[in-house]
Amino acid sequence: MVAGADTAPGGARWRLWALGPLLLLIAVVAAFSAWGDSVTDLLGRNPPPADQVDVRRIEFKPGEIRIKVTNPQRDDLTVASVTVDDAIVPFTLDGPATLGRLRSSTIVVPYDWVEDEPIAVGVTSSTGIETIEQIPAAVETPGPSIGRAAGYAAIGFLVGVVPIALGLLWLPSLRRAAPRWLAAFMALTAGLLTFLAVEALSEALQLQAALPTGLGGAGIVLLGVATSWLTLTAVSHTLSRRGARSGGGGALGGLALATLVAIGIGLHNFGEGLAIGTSFALSELALGSFLIIGFMIHNITEGLGIAAPIADGAKTSVVRLATLTLVAGGPAILGAWLGGFITSDVLAVVFFAAAAGAAFEVVTEVVRYVARKAPGGITSPHVLGGFLAGIAVMYITGLIAA
Amino acid sequence: MVPKRLTRKGLISGAAPLLVAGPLAKLALADNAAEHDHLQLASHEGHAAQGHAAMIGEQAPAVGGPGDLDALLFPPEPLPYRPGRVREYSLTAIDREIEIAPGVFFPAWTYNGTVPGPVIRATEGDVLRVHLSNGGSHPHTIHFHGIHPANMDGVFEIVQPGGEFTYEFEARPAGLQLYHCHATPLKKHIHKGLYGAFIIDPKVPRPPAQELVLVMNGYDTDGDGSNNFYTVNGRSFYYAKYPITVKRSRLVRLYLANLTEFDLINSLHLHGSFFRHQPTGTGEHWEYTDTVVQCQGQRGVIEIEFADTGHFMFHAHQSEFAELGWMGFFNVTD
Repeated sequence: MVAGADTAPGGARWRLWALGPLLLLIAVVAAFSAWGDSVTDLLGRNPPPADQVDVRRIEFKPGEIRIKVTNPQRDDLTVASVTVDDAIVPFTLDGPATLGRLRSSTIVVPYDWVEDEPIAVGVTSSTGIETIEQIPAAVETPGPSIGRAAGYAAIGFLVGVVPIALGLLWLPSLRRAAPRWLAAFMALTAGLLTFLAVEALSEALQLQAALPTGLGGAGIVLLGVATSWLTLTAVSHTLSRRGARSGGGGALGGLALATLVAIGIGLHNFGEGLAIGTSFALSELALGSFLIIGFMIHNITEGLGIAAPIADGAKTSVVRLATLTLVAGGPAILGAWLGGFITSDVLAVVFFAAAAGAAFEVVTEVVRYVARKAPGGITSPHVLGGFLAGIAVMYITGLIAA
Repeated sequence: MVPKRLTRKGLISGAAPLLVAGPLAKLALADNAAEHDHLQLASHEGHAAQGHAAMIGEQAPAVGGPGDLDALLFPPEPLPYRPGRVREYSLTAIDREIEIAPGVFFPAWTYNGTVPGPVIRATEGDVLRVHLSNGGSHPHTIHFHGIHPANMDGVFEIVQPGGEFTYEFEARPAGLQLYHCHATPLKKHIHKGLYGAFIIDPKVPRPPAQELVLVMNGYDTDGDGSNNFYTVNGRSFYYAKYPITVKRSRLVRLYLANLTEFDLINSLHLHGSFFRHQPTGTGEHWEYTDTVVQCQGQRGVIEIEFADTGHFMFHAHQSEFAELGWMGFFNVTD
C-alpha cells in the first residue's frame, strides 16, 4: 500500500492535468507568432529599431584600436562603417558584421592614435545610425602579466586585508569596555553593515541599468540579494543550532556572529576589488596612493565590526583572528584579479547584489544580538548613537576614497 | 568607483601589423584588373593602414562598379544657340533607399531615382519644358535658379503625391544653375536628395573640353542635424575607388555645385595643379586658384589643363568632409 495513494486518488492523472495549461500556452504562443502581426497592426506601425550598438569595451594597442560591440536590441544590427574622430576608417571584424540579439563582435581598426589625447570612436549601422563613444584619454591597454597579477594582489591586500587586521587590533580594548559601550560598538557594526548593504545595492542597480536591455532588469539584482540572504540565513541557523548543542543557549553570538559579519564584509570587499580591478584595467581610475589610503581608512572600521561580536566571549586564538581577516579582506584580492583580467558587467552586478543581501542578513543577526545583550535594550542611546555613528563614519571615510 | 565594460584582453601588440596586413592584402588581391595594379602600389607606399583619406583604387570603401555614376558625371552634349528651340525633360520624384557607402543605406527622396538628380542642360534662349510627376509620398516641387516668371518658381505650385506639373520658361542666364525641391520643410526636402545641376550654355559656346559635373552633398543618416557622410555625385569615396580619367594638356571643364545641407560651406581643392574658376559660370571674372569655397547653393565653372600625368587628388579642404567620403582622384593620362 502506497501512502500517497490514499490522500490523492488518481494522483497521476491530475499531475498530467497540470501539464494542460502549459500545452495550451504553447499552442496560443504558436498561434500568436503565426498571426500576431495582424493584432499589432491594429495598434499602428512599429517604430524602426534604434540600431545603436552597445560599445562594451575599447582597447588601445600600438597602431590599433579594438572595439567590442554588442547588439542590445531584438532586431539584427549590421556594422557598416566605423569612424575615429569623425573620419571613416578601414576596419576588420573578428565575428559577423550582422549581429543577432546580444551577439558581439570585435572591430579592429588599424589606427595611429595619440597617447593621452581624447578620441571618439563611432560605429555606424546599415541604416546610418552612428553610436559614438568618447574616450577622455587614449592610453595603451595593458595585457596580462605576472607583474600585473602581483600588482592587483598588492592593491587587494592593501585595501582589504590590512585595514581589517588593523581594525581587529582594537579587540583587547573592546574586551575591557563596559557592556553598554560594547553594545554601542555592536550597533556601530550594524550601522556600517547597513551602509555597505545600501552602497552595494546602489552599485548593483547602477551597473544593472548600464547592461544591455536583454540582460538587465532589477530582477537580476533581486535574485542576487535573495540568494545570498537566504544562504546566509541557512548558515546562521546551522551555526546557532551547533551553538545550542554545545550549550550556547541557541543564540547566535560570539565567534559565529563574527564569522557571519566577516562573510558579509568579505562579499562586499570582493565587489570592491572587482570594481577597482576593472576600473584600473580600463584606465578609468587613476589609482593613486591617495585613493588606496582612502580605502584603507574606509575599511578599518570593518575590522572593528568583526572584533565587536567576539569582544565579550572567550579568548580567540590568533589563527582564528587571522582566518576572520582573510575571510573578510582576502576577497578584495580575488575581486581585483577577476576585475583586472576578465571583467564582466553581469558578474559585477551579481556580486554587488550578493554583497548587499549578505550585509542585510548580517545586520538582522547583529541587531538581534544587540537586542538580547545591550543593557537598556535596543533603544538605548548607546545603541542608537552607535548605529548612526557606524553609518556616519563609513560615509565620511568613504568621501576620502571617492 | 565606476566599473564598466568587459572583454578578454591580451592581444599581443606585436600582432597588430599582421592583423592590418591580412585584410589589406586580401583587398588588394580582390582586384584583378591589371590597370589598377599601380593604384594598389601607390596606396601601399603611402599610409593605407591609417585611414581612407589616402586610399585609392579597390581599397577605397565605395559602393558600386566603374561607370555607375557616368550619367551624373558626364553632362548631355551642349547644343548650338537657336532661340525658341524647346528642350524637354521629365523628372519623377521617387522615394528610394540608396546605398551611399558600403552597407550604409539612406532613405532618400530622389528625382528619377538618383541623388543628385539628372543633369538638366539647355542653351540660352531655349524654351525649357520640365515635367514633374510626383511618385513620392510627400508633396514636392522643382525650384530652378535663374530668370523665370513667378508662377514657374516652384514655390507655390505644390505637387501632391500622384500629381503633375510642367514648368516652362526661357533658359537664362547662361551659367551653372541649380534645381531643387522647395516644398517645406525645406531643409528636409533638400537634404533627402531632391536637387541637381542645371547647365545653361551661353549663346557663344564655351571652348570644347572634357566636361564633368561634380555636385557636392552630404547625408545625415542618423537625423541629428549634422552629416555623417560627404560625397560628390552621391557616393562617398566613389572617385577614390574609380578615379576620373582625363587627358593631359587638354581642357577639362568642371561644373561644381554645392548642395550640402547643415554645413554652411563646402569646398574643392585640387592637388598638383591650378585652375581658372568662374563663379556661377557667369560674367568675365575668373579666379586663378587651386581651392574653391561655396556656400549652400553656390556653384561655379572650373577650367583646368593638367600639366603632368598621374593621380591627382581632389577633395573638400574641410579635412573632416574629406575623411567622411568627399575625396577622389583625377587620373591624368597622355
